[in-house]
Amino acid sequence: MPSHQHMAHLVPPLFEQGRLEDFTRSGRVVSHTMSPRDDTLAVYSSPLSIPQTSSAQGAFHSDDHPIYFASKEEAPRSERRVFITDTSVIFAATQNLIKVSREENVTLLQNDDAVRALGKLACDYVNFCKECCLYASQNISRADPLQYDAEHYRRLWTCFSLFAVLYLPEPGLEDAPIGDELMEWLNTHFIEPSTQEGDELSSQERPWEDPAFWPYLTRTCLRGLSKASTFFLKVLSKHPSAYLQGLAQELSPLLTNHPRLYQYSAERDFAVASRRWKDKVKTLRLELDRVPESERDDGFENWWDRFSDIVGILEGRGEIVKKVCMELGADWKEVCSVWGIFVDTRLRRQDLPEVVAQVIDEMPPDPTDREDMVHSSLFLGRPAQALSEAAQLDIWLAAHLADLMEPIELIDPEADDSELSLRQHYILSYAEYLRTDPALWRITVDYMYSCGSVGTGMADQVLMRVPLRLENHAAAGTSGEEAASIRAGHLAGVLKSVNETCFEYQREEIRRMICRIAAQTFIKEKEYGLAISYCTSAEDWAGLGRVVDLVLEEYIAQGPEQFARLVANIAPSLHALRTDAGTKIPAPGVFLHRLMFAVRFAEFHQRRASGDGQGAALDAVTMFRDDIAPKSWWAVLLCDALDLLRDGSMFFTSNDACLLIQKLEEIHLAVGQGAEDDFLPVLCRVTKRGKKHALQRLEVARLSLAKYYAKCGAIGVGGRPSGWIH
Amino acid sequence: MIQTGLIPNAHHDLVTDASYDFYGHRLATCSLDQRVKVWQLDESNGSWACEHEWKAHDAAISKISWAHPEFGTILATASFDRTVKIWEQVPALDGDGGGMQLNGASGVGASGASRWVERAMLVDAKGTVRSVEFAPQHFGLKLATISSDNCLRIYECLEQPSLATWQLLEEVDVLTLPATSPAGRSVSQTLTMATPTQPSAPLDGNSVSLVAHALQQQATQNQLPGRPGLGTREADGGWCISWCKDRYWGEIIAAGCGIDGIVKIIQIPPSRRPSTLLSLNPVPSSDPSRPSASSASGPSGSAPTPSTNGDSGDGAKTYAVTSVAWAPSCGRSYHLVATGGRDGHVRIWRVKPPAPSEEADGFGEDGLGAQEGEAGRWSASIVGDFDDHKSAVGRVEWNITGTILSSAGNDGRVRLWKMTAGNVWRPAGHISVEQADEQQADVDMGEMAVED
Repeated sequence: MPSHQHMAHLVPPLFEQGRLEDFTRSGRVVSHTMSPRDDTLAVYSSPLSIPQTSSAQGAFHSDDHPIYFASKEEAPRSERRVFITDTSVIFAATQNLIKVSREENVTLLQNDDAVRALGKLACDYVNFCKECCLYASQNISRADPLQYDAEHYRRLWTCFSLFAVLYLPEPGLEDAPIGDELMEWLNTHFIEPSTQEGDELSSQERPWEDPAFWPYLTRTCLRGLSKASTFFLKVLSKHPSAYLQGLAQELSPLLTNHPRLYQYSAERDFAVASRRWKDKVKTLRLELDRVPESERDDGFENWWDRFSDIVGILEGRGEIVKKVCMELGADWKEVCSVWGIFVDTRLRRQDLPEVVAQVIDEMPPDPTDREDMVHSSLFLGRPAQALSEAAQLDIWLAAHLADLMEPIELIDPEADDSELSLRQHYILSYAEYLRTDPALWRITVDYMYSCGSVGTGMADQVLMRVPLRLENHAAAGTSGEEAASIRAGHLAGVLKSVNETCFEYQREEIRRMICRIAAQTFIKEKEYGLAISYCTSAEDWAGLGRVVDLVLEEYIAQGPEQFARLVANIAPSLHALRTDAGTKIPAPGVFLHRLMFAVRFAEFHQRRASGDGQGAALDAVTMFRDDIAPKSWWAVLLCDALDLLRDGSMFFTSNDACLLIQKLEEIHLAVGQGAEDDFLPVLCRVTKRGKKHALQRLEVARLSLAKYYAKCGAIGVGGRPSGWIH
Repeated sequence: MIQTGLIPNAHHDLVTDASYDFYGHRLATCSLDQRVKVWQLDESNGSWACEHEWKAHDAAISKISWAHPEFGTILATASFDRTVKIWEQVPALDGDGGGMQLNGASGVGASGASRWVERAMLVDAKGTVRSVEFAPQHFGLKLATISSDNCLRIYECLEQPSLATWQLLEEVDVLTLPATSPAGRSVSQTLTMATPTQPSAPLDGNSVSLVAHALQQQATQNQLPGRPGLGTREADGGWCISWCKDRYWGEIIAAGCGIDGIVKIIQIPPSRRPSTLLSLNPVPSSDPSRPSASSASGPSGSAPTPSTNGDSGDGAKTYAVTSVAWAPSCGRSYHLVATGGRDGHVRIWRVKPPAPSEEADGFGEDGLGAQEGEAGRWSASIVGDFDDHKSAVGRVEWNITGTILSSAGNDGRVRLWKMTAGNVWRPAGHISVEQADEQQADVDMGEMAVED
């Protein structure tokens, strides 16, 4: 990365330059920790050794100590972020293409349509680089300053388009000569000679007197810019030398009519035309040679030498091409591109590395120029090296090149020792870079999930840490609304997106973990209904049990009203659970049972509070009859139920009363046998008194029940008692 | 590398440990001043605000660890007061439901909506507790501690909502813990018992670590005049743990203890006694004259070979491992364990479990022979060995994907290490608390060996 420096000095510094010893002598060292959010480092000064006694503390370093935060890279912003999100769409399309091709069980290379599609995708990447480059080069005022300059995107553009030219030809054209395409690439990205030079020369009366004239003309000939060439050749008709006038006139049509492959439908026709054209060049050379030595200089320049160079290029003399390029300050790229136009017009892709290797021998690429290194590696047919160079230019480039290189079998799809293939390595490195902005998590995991089991493992780590933002007191704005929506029982906001992503990549484990965490958040807020929904969704039955326990704790701590209110929103969850119980979710009965009790118990209190004594009584009896009430709660339930009878109401039938008496006796019997810990603690906690008091309360209950039963017999409420035994 | 933030006056004394929560939205720090602070990140501007602060122990706090969020918002602190405490964040208005003890740890700072409550105190350690780490969440709400009595202790929370009861499941003397099968497996490559004669690479002549070392000894001896033996050991020693994050192999933890320079990979099976699967014992270069920066900063690539006893001479000294970090396995078939020690080395170990098919066989062949890929046993090799800090390394830590290792050394720098294509680990930048100097920065950038 251009802006990427490997070293950072934190400010304010903790010691002066070169004074590490002072720092150490003060008993300090640095320590750090790494953020799971974006790999940010928190750095702080730590004691070299910790004093063992508490008295020593404070005396040592009573000062204010800072914590620094530092990142390896700057998070993408501004145009870079747009570039990243836009190109991720192409990446997704590429994955899709490869997936489809894999499903059809053919290698992508065997399928022309697929190769063509891949070429189009590469073209899309190239266009995005171009767009971004053009955008960045606009001289406009921007809301955000550019993170990378136009030059950076230009580099990406040249590299990606060279890759597309060299490695992704139209199916069927793999063996076609490549000269034209290379020259087009060169002319697009490395414009020479400059328009300004041309303008300056064309404004002159006798441009040949300008030292820039002949280099300019030579360059336009090299580049196949026949319009510019012929313009200046026409100007030469005013040149004092009659020889040159004639020669220029003859050269002009040669340049204009230089046969180029794209003008022919068959390669054979092109070859024939080329041969004929070459013959004409030979004729020109013969005429050139006839110019007497004395006429070859016009006083400013030895025009003959210059002209001879141009003819030499047209003749396809490799040595002349190299010599001319060196004189013009052109580099190896230009020589290689010119090679396919003039020297070897039938130069094919597979022959290119050999030619390039020879050229590079004499005109090596600039090792400090990453772009040039990527170009040369691509020209030389060394994709792995190109990736390594590209990674240093911009990891975006390496990742997306590698992604296209693997399906066309340029790089080994097999994993190396690290259990990553080359493609996976670069894609994951890019994904790591994306992690610098946690908000890009969707894109990050898309890239990671495309990288086998290791990528999946990494994506899981990212996905499970996507902040759910469930907190009610979260800052206002969308997240607040989302939190509210989630509270209303809808899947919304981040939670929804994370869920969808889990589903898309079949990450059930992660989904469950996220549900468990969400449940925990709701528990904290006493949103027990939601907590239960999420526990259920996570199939976390132990967690469900804990929620129920907490709900019942509310009764103990807060009393019946608060309890009933809290549980009111659980009922729907229970209903859902019940419906599902028989079908897909094997909710273990024990948890379900406890949950049902909590709900019925709350209903009981709600009815009681709203004055529906009859209904409440029915609830209480049902809880005993259906065995919903856990033993530990019997005593509480009995006491609460008998509270209903205080005002002399007759809500229980004699059968019901009988059942209650039976349960009461069971408690007494068990307590008598020493099992009081199974029956009494909850009542003790509710009354906030000891066991003795609890037993007293049960005695009172027994008395009132006995009285009630007797009353039933006397006034015939709910039928006469038919006896003690049922 | 770029600086992205600063908390100017975080603590009134040196910070002993810092730990991010699961999401990286909160940072818990502890200090010599016996206090814990919890900082909250404001994502809109990247700033940190102190959310809570409280006095947590009666001596310096050595380590702080967050539990997985599915258990709630829970912290554990380990201290030189020989205790470990469990803290939970609860809503401020919450009635103290289960009769749990309150510790006056009330909420402070901007967020008055919650407070931290002490839920339990673990007092089993017979020495200062040097590290605490919650187990990966799939093993339940468990935690491991290690203290200067060389004991690794594993606790499990018995009552989850209340967090009040923690059962001591295991208590293991790391130094004497035997290997799985005394007759065979994984003994040979480890040399677990050969502590006194380990050779080691001496540091540069006038290295800062020697100054540090002298200071340390001096400091300790000053404080503990009556117990010189123990004092030296405590100052020279390193006690560190790190859980294996993977679920597949059951509960496994890496633990380093004392001064022997060895990290043991300890398995904690549910029904049997813990055992050592493997020991990570760096056998440094036999040539003591080459601990230069450049030669050792590349990855060694080769597996450590068993040292031949006695050759190293009587003067050889072992250096404690101060920090161990187990990388998340992230779908790899192998594990990455990083160690940092007083010998100034950051090492990356590639730890390979037995091939799954072999696993059932249990017993491998006898302990002789090859390392990596050996059937039926755990094996390890060093894939990166860096002495760039040129002074004791105090901390190593992985990022969540196990792709970047960070290390802090007594050279006042935090360094990053990254795997490059072809499984080669290389330096990936560093940060310094030294005052910047333009020229210095240029030199530093130049010397980074990040390119071929």
